[in-house]
Formats: sequence, structure tokens, C-alpha cells
Amino acid sequence: MTDGQTLRVEVTAIAEVTPLIKHFTLRAVDRAPLPAFSGGSHVVVVMRGANRVYRNPYSLLSPPSDRSAYQIAVRRMEASRGGSEFMHTQLHVGSHLEIAHPVNLFPLDKIARKHVLIAGGIGITPFLAQLEDLHEGAIPYELHYAVRSAEHAAFHERLRTREAGRVRFYHDSKAQAIDYDALLSAQPLGTHVYVCGPAGMISRVIDTARRWGWPDSHVHWEKFSAPPVGEAFEVFLARAKIGVNVLPDQSLLEAIEAAGVEVPYLCRGGVCGFCQTRVLELDGELLHHDHYLSDADKSRGKSIMPCVSRAKCQSLVLDL
Amino acid sequence: MLVTGIKSKPVYAPLRADPGGRYHLLLGNGPGAAPLLQVLAELRGGAADSLGRSRVLFTPGAQPSTDTGAEAHADSTAFSAAGVPDVRSFADSGALLAEFESLLAASVMGLRLYVAGPESFIGLALKIALDFNLNTDEIRAQECGSAARRVRCVHCRHTTEDVRTNIVECLGCRRWLLVRDHYSRRLAAYMGVMVDAEAPGQRPPIQEIFP
Repeated sequence: MTDGQTLRVEVTAIAEVTPLIKHFTLRAVDRAPLPAFSGGSHVVVVMRGANRVYRNPYSLLSPPSDRSAYQIAVRRMEASRGGSEFMHTQLHVGSHLEIAHPVNLFPLDKIARKHVLIAGGIGITPFLAQLEDLHEGAIPYELHYAVRSAEHAAFHERLRTREAGRVRFYHDSKAQAIDYDALLSAQPLGTHVYVCGPAGMISRVIDTARRWGWPDSHVHWEKFSAPPVGEAFEVFLARAKIGVNVLPDQSLLEAIEAAGVEVPYLCRGGVCGFCQTRVLELDGELLHHDHYLSDADKSRGKSIMPCVSRAKCQSLVLDL
Repeated sequence: MLVTGIKSKPVYAPLRADPGGRYHLLLGNGPGAAPLLQVLAELRGGAADSLGRSRVLFTPGAQPSTDTGAEAHADSTAFSAAGVPDVRSFADSGALLAEFESLLAASVMGLRLYVAGPESFIGLALKIALDFNLNTDEIRAQECGSAARRVRCVHCRHTTEDVRTNIVECLGCRRWLLVRDHYSRRLAAYMGVMVDAEAPGQRPPIQEIFP
């Protein structure tokens, strides 16, 4: 995706679902039906701030059958680089935004015999759209949803009534924790597990599943990394023949875009591999933060994911 | 004429134990005993107690042999001697696969499946495994024994068993079928297409190519 292909939408409703999470309803500016999507999809929202442009991925949580509007939920991050802050403070009903077409990097397995969904905090969002599909189907499923406390459980009431008997809540404030061994040691053959939440939760699920012999093809996770803040560095784009300065709180991709060079992207969270860029010259080291390249590829240093990765270097030349 | 290079034609590889599995289920038919014993030897050398969570289902298969009973007994003894707590023998692959299916229905995630035997036995076992959503990273199979094919007639949908020739008469509709490399995992069968549709009665020579 590049910005030439974005959809123009209008914010038609804003609701505060927890003290930290706001829920936005987006409709096409011309009120035409929006592109179809499947549960687990996200859109990249382009936010034009005063001094810079933010592009953050957010999961679509509305029913996939409803193409009149998209719904997203945005958690205000404590260490926001500006994106979630912008969504929380700069938008009002009637604001216009650009969004990229939906992309699904976290789909449900179509022939699974059972689905086990594990959400932590704002990680509930991709599951909300998937539950709309699961609810209509015949495949058994269960949702385990861990939050800090009851007031942080976004969409608590909707889940409690609609998914009664299939959802279990865990509140940190009451010292309730998911028993991963109990959850993953006795699932029927053909079960798939999906996890979206904090990094610690994702690695607990992956490690526990592996310990109980789950093959990788049955374990699914989604973790959008926010681009980390780092030291400023310089990069030279060989084909555009320009030098670009990457600021400490700017991602490499954002800096390249700000210089007027478009890089194709899908997730902007180090997951999909779409923005993979060839490194032509490097004097220093690459700071890889993505979940896409293998460890071997990372140490080889011939490729970088500019959406989340940085460099600590004297010089870096990219094939752009 | 056979149209080779078809991607759906399954390719199997020599069996190796998968130490990542928690439970190990081994299915053997006839000459498949030897590779399964190799897997058990690897499991014994691996993580603690993976052998104790293994199970073998074995049949001597339909190969005509004067001393089949004695061979089957020898194989069962070998599996038990290898340290497998649960070894079950079956008169034929049909009985074995019925038991396999009910075992899968009662199994939990963490299972690895190993299949060794003639190609059609592997195909039928993997067809059942597919119904339980076992993926390629949970299944290992090694072909040993006959390469005879199950052939599905695209005209009448009858499946003719034990086909060893490039061209075969469909037992459902009596058309002469060319046996292609197109394979369906869901049907555990190769595709058979009428060979003389455009020039009735003109058939290439019949050769045994799936011994």
C-alpha cells in the first residue's frame, strides 16, 4: 500500500469504552460501501498532524458483514510517539481521515476443528470481528480475555451477553491469571490457538504450546510493534539519490516518506514483510525490531524492515 | 502421456522422529515396520518418556505371503521390544484405519503421526488425518511397498483400487481410463480420464508402471 490508494473516510461517532480506549466509527466520505474484509483484518490510518504524518495500524472490530462503516478502537499509549495521542485529542465527529485498504495478517484457520482465542487488553480488537463470523458458525470456540481490571475490559458487556458460556474474563486486579498449561494441554486435535496482546502474553502462549507439542501451524499471533524511539541516524537512498535524516522519534519508513519517496507497506508493525528493503552499504549495525526476518537474515544484514527497524551507523545506503 | 510434473503428486520422505511432538502415533503396513522401528529408536534416544507416549498400529497388509501370521507376530514383538507400551495388530488396513480414526477423535493437540507402507495405505491414512485438521508439520510418511494407485474416474466417480497400469478399465463404468499424476488428498486417489474419448477404441499399449 502507498498513499495513492487510500480511502477517504469521516469519523461519524466517537465513544470512550474505557478510560484509555476510544472507539471510532468511520464511514466513506461519499457514503459508498467500504471494501469487504475478513475478521482479523487491520487498516493503516494516515494522520496528518501539524508537523508530521503518522500511519498506525488498527484492527477492524466491526462485523465483516457490515460494509457501511468500519470501527476501530485506539488505546492511548503512555509513551505515544504521537499517533494514538492524535487519535485521542485531535479527532472529533466530522473529522476526515485517510485509511489504507484492509489487510488480513491474522485470519482464522478455515478448516480448524476448534478455535481458542486469547486476548490481553486492547488485543481484543481483532477477535471482535472474528467472533462475528464464529458466532454464526458451527465450529466450537472459546475466548480468554485478560485485562487489568473490570473497568479496562473493553466491550465487556457485549461479550458477556453475546458470548455467554464461551468467554472467560481474567482481572489482574483480582489476581486472576490464565493457566496456560491447563488451557493448552488438552485441546482436541485440530484446535488452533490465536493470541493478541502484550509481548509477554504472546511469548507465554507460544512457549507453552510448543512445550505441549503444538506444531507452529496451529499457533497464531499478532503483535504490531510500535516503531521504537532511538538515536538519530542518516540514510542515503541510492535510486532517489538523496540523504535522509531519521529523527529519534521517527521511524525509518516515516523519514523516507517525509522525504517524498514512497515505500510499499501493509502493516507498519514489523509483521508482514511488505516493506522489506535491500541494504546496499552499511558501516555500523542494523537494529532489527521486526518479527518477519529470520535471525539468520537479520545477522546477514542485507535487508531491513524500515517500518520498525533502525540503524546505528556511520553510513547506510538503501536500494530505494 | 501420463502428464508428469504435476504438483499434486505427493512426495514422501524417509521417516525421522519429531522430538517436538508430545504424543507419537505410528501406523505401519507390511514393509513399513522397518522405518517405524527406526523412528522408535530415535524417540528412545530423545526427550524423556516420549517413547512412553507412543503407540503403534500395525498390519502385515494384503501382500500374499505364506507365513504372514508369523511375520506379523515377529513385527509386534519387535515393536514391544523397542519399548512401546501400546502395540496393536490388525488383520488388514481397513480395520487398522477404523481404529486410527477413533483414536484421533479422542486425541489432544501435541500428536505427531508417522505412516509407513504402500502408497495407497499412506493416502487413506492421510485422508483421515486431514479430516482432523492435521497439518503437514504434524505428519510424516514414508512409502514402502507397492506403488499401486487408487484411481478416481472423473466420469462416473467410482474409485478403482490397486491399479498398477498406465491405463485401466474403470470398474464403475467400464471406460478405459488414463491414470494421471493429478492427486486428491481429500479423496486419496489419482485422477482417471477416458483415454479413447476422441478416437474410440484407439488405446496406447497398457504397461505396468506402478509396481
